[in-house]
Amino acid sequence: MSLQRQPVGETPDGLDYDALAELLDGYVLDREQHLNCEAFVIRPDDVAAVLSTLRDRAAFDHLSLVTAQEYRDRYESIYHLKKYDDPTQELSLVVPTPRDQPHSQSGADVFDTAIWHEREAYDLVGIEYDDHPDLRRILLPETWQGHPLSLDYNQDKPQIVPLREHANPMEGRTDVADRSDTMFINIGPHHPATHGVLHLKTVVDGEQVVDIDPDIGYLHRCEEQMCQQSTYRHQIMPYPDRWDYVSAGILNEWAYARAAESLADIDVPVYAQVLRTMSAELCRICAHLLAIGTFALDIYGEFTAIFMYAVTDRERIQNLLEELTGQRLMFNYLRLGGVAWGLPEPRAEYLETVRSVMAEFPDRLEEYHNLLTSNELFQMRVLDTGVLPAETAKSYGATGPVARGSGIDYDLRRDDPYGYYDELDWEVVTDDGGDNFSRALVRLQEMEQSARIVRQCVDVLADWSGEREIQSDVPRTVKPGGEVYRAVEGAKGELGIYIRADGTDTPARFKIRSPAFSNLQTLEVLAEGEYIADMIATLGSLDIVLGEVDR
Amino acid sequence: MTLPTTIEEALPVGGVAAEAVAALAAATVIGTFVMLNTALAGPWAKRKITAAFTDRISVNQFGPLGVGIVVPDAVRLVSKELIVPEGADRPAWDLAPLVLVFSALFAFAVIPMGNGVHLADPAVGLVFVFAIASVASLGLVMAGYASNNKYAFLGGLRAVAQNLAYEIPLILIGISVVLYTGSLQMSEIVATQRETLVSLGPLSVPGWFAIVNPFAFVLFLVANVAEVGRNPFDVPEAPTEIVAGYQTEYSSVYFVLIYLGEFVHIFLGGAIIATIFLGGPAGPVLPGIVWFLLKIWAMFLFTQWLRSAVPRVRIDQLIEIGWKRLLVLAFVNLFATATVVGVLAA
Amino acid sequence: MSDNQLHDTLDEAQQTTREARTGEGVDERYNSRLRQAFGDSPFILTKFDAFMNWVRGNSMFILLFGIACCSIEMMHTYATKHDLDRFGAGVPRASPRQADVIIVPGTIVSKFGPRMRRVYDQMPEPKFVVSMGSCTISGGPFQEGYNVIKGVEELIPVDIHVPGCPPRPEALVYGVLKLQEQVQAGESAPVTVKPYELRQFGDLEEDELVQKLAAEIDEDDLVMRYDWTER
Repeated sequence: MSLQRQPVGETPDGLDYDALAELLDGYVLDREQHLNCEAFVIRPDDVAAVLSTLRDRAAFDHLSLVTAQEYRDRYESIYHLKKYDDPTQELSLVVPTPRDQPHSQSGADVFDTAIWHEREAYDLVGIEYDDHPDLRRILLPETWQGHPLSLDYNQDKPQIVPLREHANPMEGRTDVADRSDTMFINIGPHHPATHGVLHLKTVVDGEQVVDIDPDIGYLHRCEEQMCQQSTYRHQIMPYPDRWDYVSAGILNEWAYARAAESLADIDVPVYAQVLRTMSAELCRICAHLLAIGTFALDIYGEFTAIFMYAVTDRERIQNLLEELTGQRLMFNYLRLGGVAWGLPEPRAEYLETVRSVMAEFPDRLEEYHNLLTSNELFQMRVLDTGVLPAETAKSYGATGPVARGSGIDYDLRRDDPYGYYDELDWEVVTDDGGDNFSRALVRLQEMEQSARIVRQCVDVLADWSGEREIQSDVPRTVKPGGEVYRAVEGAKGELGIYIRADGTDTPARFKIRSPAFSNLQTLEVLAEGEYIADMIATLGSLDIVLGEVDR
Repeated sequence: MTLPTTIEEALPVGGVAAEAVAALAAATVIGTFVMLNTALAGPWAKRKITAAFTDRISVNQFGPLGVGIVVPDAVRLVSKELIVPEGADRPAWDLAPLVLVFSALFAFAVIPMGNGVHLADPAVGLVFVFAIASVASLGLVMAGYASNNKYAFLGGLRAVAQNLAYEIPLILIGISVVLYTGSLQMSEIVATQRETLVSLGPLSVPGWFAIVNPFAFVLFLVANVAEVGRNPFDVPEAPTEIVAGYQTEYSSVYFVLIYLGEFVHIFLGGAIIATIFLGGPAGPVLPGIVWFLLKIWAMFLFTQWLRSAVPRVRIDQLIEIGWKRLLVLAFVNLFATATVVGVLAA
Repeated sequence: MSDNQLHDTLDEAQQTTREARTGEGVDERYNSRLRQAFGDSPFILTKFDAFMNWVRGNSMFILLFGIACCSIEMMHTYATKHDLDRFGAGVPRASPRQADVIIVPGTIVSKFGPRMRRVYDQMPEPKFVVSMGSCTISGGPFQEGYNVIKGVEELIPVDIHVPGCPPRPEALVYGVLKLQEQVQAGESAPVTVKPYELRQFGDLEEDELVQKLAAEIDEDDLVMRYDWTER
């Protein structure tokens, strides 16, 4: 493809910010230095123009996160841009808006994923986005007063949350309500297939879904507020365990650890990195097992064999993790600069246990392949349903197995290496199908790769001859400064943390980029026109965790 | 000889009154017998079987293998509060569970269970069974729409679509059996199958229709699974899609009736299969009634096995399988049987 | 008479119990019409009650109800290793109409609170509540959150609290067994829940939203209103 122009700013030694600034000549008001990349300050009414220029000319095709925050003198929206081809090439767009008139242009025309991110910014911080297709509250009830993450929010003010019987919240909002042959149906928030407390406002025509509007926020536990109230060194670490709570805890902890460590410039000893890598991959296996189990649950019916087998296998791995971390589910194992403690004694025996469980694991996976992927009835149900084309996936910021199931070769463990991953021998699994089957298949194969990583980590740990240093020196109170956005490959995809530190021991702004939040957004595209049963299966294959979606 | 006649003969007096008493007594015996089976299956056997498939133990607190759970489960379910949803279409809502249970129970009247446990033996037995069992569709749609619940409504509609699609193949396959036996009478059908098909030394293979025409047997099995609404055809209930389908709004006694009704239907499906394909109560050594029980429980086990191991198909796929494949195969089977029977007769 | 006071005589104790069980406005679960008709406890009713308590304590259908982290451990409790069904409590029902026990596994936030109350209301009596995890006791680690309801007892009465974040499956099994014990002993949860029915907005500061909502409210269709500052 010689006709394709070289994206602006791409050089062999990384990103040339000057070239980008030149490209955006006239738009850039100021250039700031964030710890992960440079940030361009632009005017609130140039957002769409700048985003589309960057996407078309400079190949920034991944809007990872929109952070909104309030300063004493202004509001600020930050658009964190990345590239699917190389996520180390990052650029932030800072859009300040005055306090008395917090209006900013919406980026929803350029990136679909901005729709939800900007709704969240409006909901929690109170910035209004002009030309936004559907700007209303997303996490909090419609009747909520005030914006809880704004500076002058009074938490003790009473709030009223009404619930009306037989109310049709879609009335007047959906474009199909007038048709008399459709039926509005609330799927959730209490429904056996919504994987928690998701609420799907669905309009069905017979058995087909005509319109669907995921309503989230039923598990909005103020995780960002909690982290902003807590100190870097000790108090934040337990919370990440509770974002993606399907025993993916260490993966989440790592997201925070990575951001905070780069913020406070803390090194992690190699031995601790190996321990982190091993425990994180065990967590990934656990999380994917649950994803497969619940996906089977959605397709098979009640608590049937595959689900039970998956939970049994999870128990095996949870036992390993429990021995290592002391906890079954909420591990709280990572610390800034290392891990809480080393391998349980006797070390050789523990490593032998891990090795034997991992040695059996391919056989167990074979059973899932027998029961699921090679089952003709299963194939009949999931092949070519819920198809997510790669372009749509990128526009919605889908990551993780959902993106890889659509053929997007994107895995932060390889593309933006951290931990001990680049020393190990493993592969990124992708599948071009883009349907429910591909996503399930990618998860199954990823577990195989994770088991491979764990086996190699065990070998490294068993042969370790040097100092077993599990933690570097970290000051008792960490008081960093600056702004950073860092992401790791969580169980569901790119799990990023944005921290703005203001020199105190707690973050001034702590923003979580939840992969499940972006992935769930694709449901509207995937489910419309499908049968109810396929919509449920699609939801299962997206593998959302409401704790992470709502935070 | 049917059960009422046996009882009537045992009575000291005769006449119409004795006949009525005998009929009532016999009906009670058979009704209780069937309900006992389902009571055992619903709260206990189903759990134990599912547990076995999922490496669990399941209930084990009272009685051997925890069978004692049947008592607290039954009493507790019946003693729950009966909630009538606002806007329920009352007579229909109340009648639906009864229709579901009795449509299946009535059909048992003509099933010969061996050892003289046979309520009635009309000349049109097989037609009666299919006709009565089909009334269940009516119960399902009543339960679905009268609940004033959208999930129930969807479930009811699915159930009707499914039952219509699978009843026709079911009956067509039934007709092929009738062609073979030349009679609609249940006792006649069973008697025909008792004849020896081939003798292999000391072993004589009976002329069970499942052995004579395994093709029809397999077709009937599939159609029957759909008819009783079990995996892979459990779309009317589909717990992860439409909560509990047509039974979503039912609680207490009505729920018990619907729940038991489902199991009675499973057993009825088993009983029909046993009667027209597996020689009814026929079998060596053990008494007929035991063989009959073994056969219907085997069919129950079969449905539970499917439930644990097979995914649920989508509603459109289900309808497609029914109308486009099963129906065609049922006709093929019918014509093939007709030809073979005709050639043999000639 | 104070509830906490120790009783001097057996008669007095029985009298108190009887009043508590048969009086006006007490827990409906133990105040059946049959009992009202018979008055004092005759032998048959006592035995019948004991039998019913045994029945209810030994067989429970649990509502399939997942909220947050604890629901993962709840799934593990149903599954192979811990197998809650051994105790006759392992049949999850998706419809609240067919459930006896609701295990509340996770943080309740403002948006979900009324919905959960609704689900609880849809369950037929007698119904029991096991609250699982710290969040359902006090809000747990998220207690200070602007959106978090400080414990499930703000909304529904709870029979058994299982502490932990999250509790291990063993702890949940123990909690369910304790619930069964309690039900068999004929005890019910103290109703600590505050009235949730529609009230006037008198205790709220008058502002635009309150006025707007008060004007909009149709008492026929409003299921509940949750005002959490009053705790």
